[in-house]
Amino acid sequence: MSETVNDADFLLSSRGKGEDLGAWVVGATFSRDGKAAAFALGDGTLRLASTAELAGEWKRVEAHDGACLSMVADVASGFLTGGDDGQLLRTANDGSTEVIANLGTMKWVDHVAAHPDGLRAASVGKKLHLFGKAGKLREMEHPSSVGGIAFDTKGKRVAAGHYNGASLWFVNSKDGSPKVLPWKGSHQGVWFSPDGTHVVTTMQENSLHGWRLSDGQDMRMSGYQAKIKSISFTAKGRWLATAGADCIVLWPFFAGGPMGKPPMELAGGDGILCTQVACHPQHEVVAAGFDDGLVLMAEIASGKVVPVAAPGRGAISSLAWNPAGTQLAFGTETGFAGLVDLSKR
Amino acid sequence: MSDTDTTVPVTVLTGYLGAGKTTLLNRILSEEHGKKYAVVINEFGELGVDNDLVIDADEEVFEMNNGCICCTVRGDLVRILSSLMKRRQKFDGIIVETTGLADPAPVAQTFYMDEDVKRATRLDAIVTLVDAKNLAARLDDSKEAASQIAFADIVVLNKMDLVTEEEAAEVERRIRAINPYAEIRRATKSEVPIEAVMGREAFKLERILEREPEFLSGEDNHSHNEDIMSLSFEVDQPLDEGKFNQWIGELLQVKGQDLLRTKGVLAFEGQDDRFAFQAVHMIADGDYIGPWPEGAARKSKIVFIGRDLNRPRLRRGFEGCIAAPVAE
Repeated sequence: MSETVNDADFLLSSRGKGEDLGAWVVGATFSRDGKAAAFALGDGTLRLASTAELAGEWKRVEAHDGACLSMVADVASGFLTGGDDGQLLRTANDGSTEVIANLGTMKWVDHVAAHPDGLRAASVGKKLHLFGKAGKLREMEHPSSVGGIAFDTKGKRVAAGHYNGASLWFVNSKDGSPKVLPWKGSHQGVWFSPDGTHVVTTMQENSLHGWRLSDGQDMRMSGYQAKIKSISFTAKGRWLATAGADCIVLWPFFAGGPMGKPPMELAGGDGILCTQVACHPQHEVVAAGFDDGLVLMAEIASGKVVPVAAPGRGAISSLAWNPAGTQLAFGTETGFAGLVDLSKR
Repeated sequence: MSDTDTTVPVTVLTGYLGAGKTTLLNRILSEEHGKKYAVVINEFGELGVDNDLVIDADEEVFEMNNGCICCTVRGDLVRILSSLMKRRQKFDGIIVETTGLADPAPVAQTFYMDEDVKRATRLDAIVTLVDAKNLAARLDDSKEAASQIAFADIVVLNKMDLVTEEEAAEVERRIRAINPYAEIRRATKSEVPIEAVMGREAFKLERILEREPEFLSGEDNHSHNEDIMSLSFEVDQPLDEGKFNQWIGELLQVKGQDLLRTKGVLAFEGQDDRFAFQAVHMIADGDYIGPWPEGAARKSKIVFIGRDLNRPRLRRGFEGCIAAPVAE
């Protein structure tokens, strides 16, 4: 038994660094320039690591008074976080911080998004606040609280998931009304496919919903055993990898799919719930984290699985690749965080 | 699940605007109990809430996509409670204050329907504040006032200084007609001992029907023509588990919308342990809760609190679950 555990931990122990940070890891991500990695924690702090020396000391940043609620890579470098102190905050790679907006005391900045073209978005309750390079662009109101937000690849549209559907807003339009994609139920996270042709949401029920934007065709992806906390498209958008089952579930977005096509299942068999997925930025490889703390990588074509970190450090709550696809960051519900270098040596 | 309960207790405070919810809340928060609470409020009253962690939420009631119109949850609570769990070391409990007009059902159902909330929190009790002076008028002009009493584990009968003993007795009678199982606490300016409202574990299966009703339940309790009433039935013979499950399942399916709360402690044929059962509308929860108390009769008892309850039909249904006699 101990031998398998040692094996599963080989990459983390030989090519990475792990640390117990003492609070729920809400987000793990790399900056767009790839120079820094950050962990956002439930105690309101961030930890920053320089990707040039993974084994170096991680810098503690007092970001939010309360909790970090969400984090994404900011526009060109650095990180964008939302907190329950009502702040939308930018933290540079070096740890210096700048308040982008104060969105109200006792208000929670639940979700954040950023785009390389200088766009930032943050949701507070029913409102989506949109910011451009020169400051605030507009505020958009929804019929109910926003469960997740996302920009499309080109930065032309921003989407918000909410009760009974998702709303798509054109970033540069002053239009008062969004294009609403309707579907009964509470929609939470929202994602565009990389080519911008589909929108997918995670739902309160254990299912996903999707829309083909060209004709509004609905896609129901159900049969999951748990709520889906994480989904990720492969680089060219051929596959949609999802958590929420005791394996990685991959829906084919080609050859007419996913409608009428069964999903592919990877890295299953031991009955442990997959909680996080992250697709490699170039190759058809998906990293996955599980409820028992296991982190692994799976190659879609071959189904070959390589363990990255062994179980036992808490359910994986966040997982991300660096832009080059050579490093992986992960965090757990019990506050363990890991960084692993996977580049060729 | 391990034996040690690591979930965070949640107390729900309901009651009409002006009944004294915020005063009670501030009392709980300011008392020297050494505990920290996260507070979720849904409307700003005239009084502020004095606490480090106060979350201002908009009540959002969502239907679940399971074809059942009474399966509603509070979307805002799902979001807030899930988020609070990411820093659970910072507080000992959560208090949710609802708006005056809120139906408590979606709040209670959130704790059973949402897996994240269910995994991390437990509903401790529903505490309903009523204004002794104005309750009668509220019961006559609104549906919510009766629902809030029907769902209550504890009713704080507040503003006692404004009523005579006769008026108070009449108000209590009406509360008991709706829900004889709720504990009534008389108070002035929301003054009740904190342990009367916090840490009650009222939704714990082990505590179901632990309290004797305030009225003997032999007779119908809806003499004042209340919209909501309670009925209870008892049988001495052991029940057939399969028959009971089938009956209660069908009943909740068909009648769940009218059944606000159902509670039972049951003796199943061939089982040494008591079986406890509870439901909020059609969402049910049940388990064996250990042996019968020393010397206690193995009687099965079930209580319904709801609207349009057909007493003879419910009695026949319950009695129909009695296990067939077996030859020894």
